[in-house]
Parts: sequence; C-alpha cells; structure tokens
Amino acid sequence: MNIVVCVKQVPDTATERKLRSDDNTLDRDAADGVVNELDEYAVEEALRLKEAHGGEVTVLTMGPDKAADTIRKALAMGADKAVHLVDDALHGSDALSTSYAMAQTLKKIGFDLVILGSESTDARTGVLAAMLAERLGVAQLTLANKVEVEGSAVTIQRVTDYGYDKVQGSLPAVISVVEKINEPRYPSFKGIMAAKKKPVQKLGAAEAELAADQIGLGAAWSEVTEAAAAPPRAAGTVVKDEGDGGVKTADFLSSKKFI
Amino acid sequence: MDFGLSVEERQIRDTVRAFVEKEVMPLEPEVLRNERAGRPGIEPEVLRGLRDKARQMGFWGINTPEEYGGAALGPVMSAIIAMETGRTFVPFSFGGSADNILYAGNEEQKRRYLIPTIEGERRSCFAITEPGAGSDARNIRTRAVKDGGEWVINGEKTFITGGNEADFVMVFAVTDPEKGANGGVTCFLVDRDMGWKSEPIPTMGQWGPASLVFEDVRVPEENILGELGQGFQLAMQWIGQGRYMIPARAVGAAERLLQMAIDYAKIRKSMGRPIAEYQAIQWMIADSQVEIEAAKWLTLNAAWQVQQGRDARHAASIAKLNGAIMANQVVDRVMQIHGGMGYTKELPIERWYRELRLLRIFEGTDEIQRRTIARNLLRGHARLGTIGE
Ligand SMILES: Cc1cc2nc3c(=O)[nH]c(=O)nc-3n(C[C@H](O)[C@H](O)[C@H](O)COP(=O)(O)OP(=O)(O)OC[C@H]3O[C@@H](n4cnc5c(N)ncnc54)[C@H](O)[C@@H]3O)c2cc1C
Ligand SMILES: Cc1cc2nc3c(=O)[nH]c(=O)nc-3n(C[C@H](O)[C@H](O)[C@H](O)COP(=O)(O)OP(=O)(O)OC[C@H]3O[C@@H](n4cnc5c(N)ncnc54)[C@H](O)[C@@H]3O)c2cc1C
Repeated sequence: MNIVVCVKQVPDTATERKLRSDDNTLDRDAADGVVNELDEYAVEEALRLKEAHGGEVTVLTMGPDKAADTIRKALAMGADKAVHLVDDALHGSDALSTSYAMAQTLKKIGFDLVILGSESTDARTGVLAAMLAERLGVAQLTLANKVEVEGSAVTIQRVTDYGYDKVQGSLPAVISVVEKINEPRYPSFKGIMAAKKKPVQKLGAAEAELAADQIGLGAAWSEVTEAAAAPPRAAGTVVKDEGDGGVKTADFLSSKKFI
Repeated sequence: MDFGLSVEERQIRDTVRAFVEKEVMPLEPEVLRNERAGRPGIEPEVLRGLRDKARQMGFWGINTPEEYGGAALGPVMSAIIAMETGRTFVPFSFGGSADNILYAGNEEQKRRYLIPTIEGERRSCFAITEPGAGSDARNIRTRAVKDGGEWVINGEKTFITGGNEADFVMVFAVTDPEKGANGGVTCFLVDRDMGWKSEPIPTMGQWGPASLVFEDVRVPEENILGELGQGFQLAMQWIGQGRYMIPARAVGAAERLLQMAIDYAKIRKSMGRPIAEYQAIQWMIADSQVEIEAAKWLTLNAAWQVQQGRDARHAASIAKLNGAIMANQVVDRVMQIHGGMGYTKELPIERWYRELRLLRIFEGTDEIQRRTIARNLLRGHARLGTIGE
C-alpha cells in the first residue's frame, strides 16, 4: 500500500507565536518549527498500516525551507521518503490554495491512502482533509480514532460527541486522525541516523505543475485582516458551598458541556 | 569554529528531551511522595520499564562501544544527553552502561562483570574512599595480602555510592605498602558473596551511600582488574569520566530550576506587581543564566577534548569545579525567588538544593579541583592562552 502522510510544520505552541506585521500571515521565522502534533499520530498510523500490510510511507510537506527539519523527524520515525513542496510563490496560501497545491502533488506522486492530522495547531481550519478528498475525487474518512484496511475497503471509527460512527470507504481514500488513535513512537537512534540517507524530493511550483493564479497570498479567498492578542483569562467562577456545592459545581460543568 | 549541533545531534537531543518530558517527568510527584514516605523514589520495575522502552528506541548504552550493543555516541553527545536527563530529579539514566574501567578486564572478567553490568543483570560500585582517606586517596590503608592463589582483603571503605545495592565492588587495596599509590595499589573485583558487608549511611541527599567492611575477604588472583599495582591509575580513570558528566547533569538541573523561577516570577505578585518586574529578581535570573551558559560550554569543551583523545584532565577539573558551584548558586537563587514556597516540601526545590550540594564534595572537592588546576598551571602542565588546544 502506498501511503502518503501530510505533515505540516507549525510554530512550537510552547513559544510565543505572532503574525507578520506586513501581510498578517504567520511569522514562521519568529518561532521554532515543530511537527504539528496531530501529524505525529498520522505518521504513526501510516507506519502501523505499513507494518501490517506492507508498502511504503511517503511524507508530504508544503512549507518553507526550514520545514526540512519536520520532514527529517517524520523520516526518523520510520517513513521511507519525502516530498517537500517549497516555493516562495506558495507563501500566504489559504486552505483552498493549500489543498489545490497538495492535491496536484498527490496526483503526481500517486497514493492509495492519504493520512492527515485532523487539525493544525496554527491555523486550525481543520478543512484540509475534506478539501483534498474533494479535489482528488476520493473517499473522505475524517476524525478517525481507529483505522482498518482490508483489501480495498478502509473502515474507520469517527469520534463524535456521543461515541463514534463506523464509516467505510474504498481505496484510494483520504483519512484524518485524532490523538486518541495511537501513541506515536519516538524516533529511534538508528532512525535518526538513517533519516539523512532517505530520499527527499524538493518540488517547486513549476515542477508540481501548479497554476500561478491558484496559489499564494494573491489567490487567497480568505484573508486575515486583523489580529489581536487573546484577552487575559477572566476571573473564575467561585462556587460557594452552602451544602449544595456539589450540585452547583455539577450544574456549572454541565452548562459548559464538560459533563 | 562551530558551536552548533548537526541535524542528527539535534534530533537525538530533542528525542531525549521529549522522552524525559513525557515519560520521566510525570513520575516526579510520585517520586517525591515515595521519598517523603522513606521509600525509594522509583521502583526498580518502573525504572526497568523505562529503560526497556528507551532501549527499543536505541537509547541504551549511550557511551558503550557498539561491539557491546551500545550506541557509542561519544563523550560530547553523552554530556548533552546527561544535560537532558539532569532536568529531572527522578533518578533515571539510560541503561546499558558500565564503569569505564571494567573494559580493562580480561575476556573472562568481561564475561562475568562487564557484560552483565551493561545488561543490567549485575550492579557495580566503586570503592576507594576510606574513613581516613578521602581527598587524600593516595593514603588508603585497606590491605590485600597474598595467601597461596588468593588475596586476603582487610579494611573499611566509606561513602560508596550504590554500595548497598551492588553485588560486586571494584575495590582498591594496598598490595605493596612500600610503593603505595606509585605501583602498590591494586583494583580487585569482589563479589558480595565473597564476604564483604555493607551498611547504609544516611545523608542529606535522598539516596545514601554505604560503608563497606572487608574482614579476611578471600579473593582469587584472577579477580585482579588490570595489572597488579596499577590500581591507582584505574581509579583516576574512573573519576576522570565523572568530571564532565557531573557538571553536565548540573547544567540540566539548573536550567530546569531557572525556568521554574522565571515562570513563578511572572505570576507571583508583590506590592501590586509581578516580582519579575523588580530588578532584584531580574538580576538573579540574569546571573543564573550567565553562569549556566558558562558551565555548559566548559562542560562541552571538556567532553570535546576527551572525544579528541586529548588529555582532558585540566579542562574537566575546570568544568567540574565551575558546574558544581554554579548549580548551588542557581538553586539557592531559585529558592530565594520562590520565597517561602521554595523552602517547603510542596515543591522539589529543597530536594534539589540538598542533592546538588553533594556536587561540591564528591569526586574531588572544590578545593581539590582548585588545587589541581593551580598545580597544573604552576608546574606548566597546563598553559594559558589556549583555545581548544
Ligand atoms: C492564524 C492563521 C489563520 C488562518 N486562517 C485561515 C482561514 O481562516 N482560512 C483559510 O483558508 N486559511 C487560513 N490560514 C492559512 C492556513 O495556514 C493554510 O491554509 C494551511 O496550509 C492549511 O490550513 P490548516 O493548517 O488550518 O489545515 P488543517 O485542515 O487544520 O490541517 C489538517 C491537516 O492537514 C495537513 N496539512 C495542513 N497544511 C499542510 C501543509 N502545509 N503541508 C502538509 N500537510 C499539511 C496536516 O496533516 C494537518 O494536520 C490561516 C493561517 C494562520 C496562521
Ligand atoms: C554521597 C557521597 C557519595 C560518594 N560516593 C563515593 C564512591 O562511590 N566511591 C568512593 O570511593 N568515594 C565516594 N565518595 C567519597 C568522596 O569522593 C569523598 O567524600 C571526597 O573525595 C572528600 O573526601 P573526604 O570526605 O574524606 O573529605 P576530606 O578529604 O577529609 O576533606 C575535608 C575538607 O578538607 C579539604 N581538603 C582536603 N585536602 C585538602 C588539601 N590538600 N588542600 C585544601 N583543602 C583540602 C576538602 O576539600 C574538604 O573541604 C562519596 C561521598 C559522598 C558524600
């Protein structure tokens, strides 16, 4: 099975993240880049499927030069090779153009299964899996906490508020995963040393045959027009226990849908 | 000149950091609870589980040669990894290591002592210090006298790390009183069932060393490690390794502690403002990082010199002295920044404070390091004006 995992480099959530003052896009140089956490689960799932069914795992990343670090990490975990879509013309791409660029690339490199995280920690649109499936004209199986492949059938458990839905599709397909799906492995020492020798194919916009008017800031359908820091956390609610503290606490929690 | 890490080195560092943060640090509250109830901080099975997990990732035998299944990452990477594991007070280290001097053994000794120690099946301890000979290690009195094909050992060793748990000891005894440390001290591998006894010594730290008593303990000739009379050199070789690993761990601990202080200073308010806004606090934070960075680079320099195959003793003494003092100053400031909270057992700072104090005493006290550094300069063994030479 030919599995492609989409891995995004995002700014480390532990560091201060900010937008560029000139075009309100993310300042990717200001913070350390790390693998989008959910994408580690995607890589892990791809590796497990490969271990069970054979095949090959390819990492696909769209991002600036420094995203090469992120690719390395996925390769160190055990992926076989990578495709790095990198071009200044891609800067400022919104979800629509990102999905266009990635879908074009996926068509070029071929796949049986594409696995994504269900959401990035920077933009958090959570739409990429759906957009890719649509553009590629293949089945869309999102928010999976379990994946099974049998022959050409792929079945997932989609997490829902009430439990899960069982969803089945046929290969080729696009899957997105949630963090409950597995426990990502640490890169092994040998994996880290071997990653250096694994092939990473760099593709520019021209090589990926991307139409210039469909990518980058100019092609974006949406625009971040303004940004403000999150307000400091408001004072909490104090529940005074007058013999009914438990009930009040429970009411509060259920009003917030925690219980 | 390149002060950076290669991509691989950085990934190894990041992986160890993630492992320590996700697998080891979560045990901290439990370690504190256990220790405060007088139990060992971490149960042996838990430690074994962690080590096995790390071993599957290939993090095992960090500085152990590949022919023994180790990763052989070398001194610089070992120091960097020690900085990462030093970030937690959980008594964790990767498995697969053995004392450097066990490699001096013959094939039979390697089979019986070295390999089982690497595999975690046997536990060693290193015993040179005696009640009457600490800094003055050349003055040890424990005697080994030949009797037929055996040596008979009599004497007492003290402050022996791991001496309560070890099943064999690398013990240093006088075999030729005339020659003393110049060819008259020998290292013996002595199994516990050959008859030595251990007694725990309570200390201000969490784990106590042991005193070891040898009363007519009979040891076969083949248990001499290395050559007869060459034990003192082995002892110095053993201590030499710690001289860059000790400050490496200290750097990790100090960075973690300083981060705690930075986080606390931002949220703790006094007189209407976060204490982080007061210069007195800022200067403590700044001085701490300056000292930590100095210690980090002195340590890496010492490890790098070992890696280059140079005589790194001078650099290592400098690193050990500086790192030990640095850690004690930093933990003291971090406690000060936390005020009364820092002094309580709610937080691990007081535990670290007690543990780090040891660094200025064992494996060469501050004074002995200074003595060594000064003598090297006075006698021309070390020069000023060098950069990595
Ligand atoms: C603060 C901020 C706000 C934004 N708001 C919007 C907006 O409102 N509308 C909009 O269209 N765009 C927006 N963008 C742009 C957005 O970053 C890109 O469109 C992005 O490439 C895809 O969106 P996402 O990260 O939200 O994807 P998601 O759908 O949240 O990501 C899901 C998965 O898709 C994969 N993936 C996503 N991006 C890549 C990549 N570059 N390479 C490899 N795999 C990838 C990963 O597997 C990831 O886990 C915003 C960006 C920022 C920084
Ligand atoms: C917890 C712990 C674990 C230890 N683990 C081990 C172990 O595993 N194996 C082992 O063999 N030993 C071990 N030691 C022993 C340790 O190495 C010695 O305690 C140390 O070398 C100091 O020796 P001492 O205690 O005899 O102090 P002393 O040598 O008596 O020193 C007392 C003071 O005098 C100073 N001093 C001594 N000589 C001079 C001098 N010439 N000039 C100036 N000042 C001097 C010292 O710096 C110190 O301040 C351990 C000690 C402790 C506390």
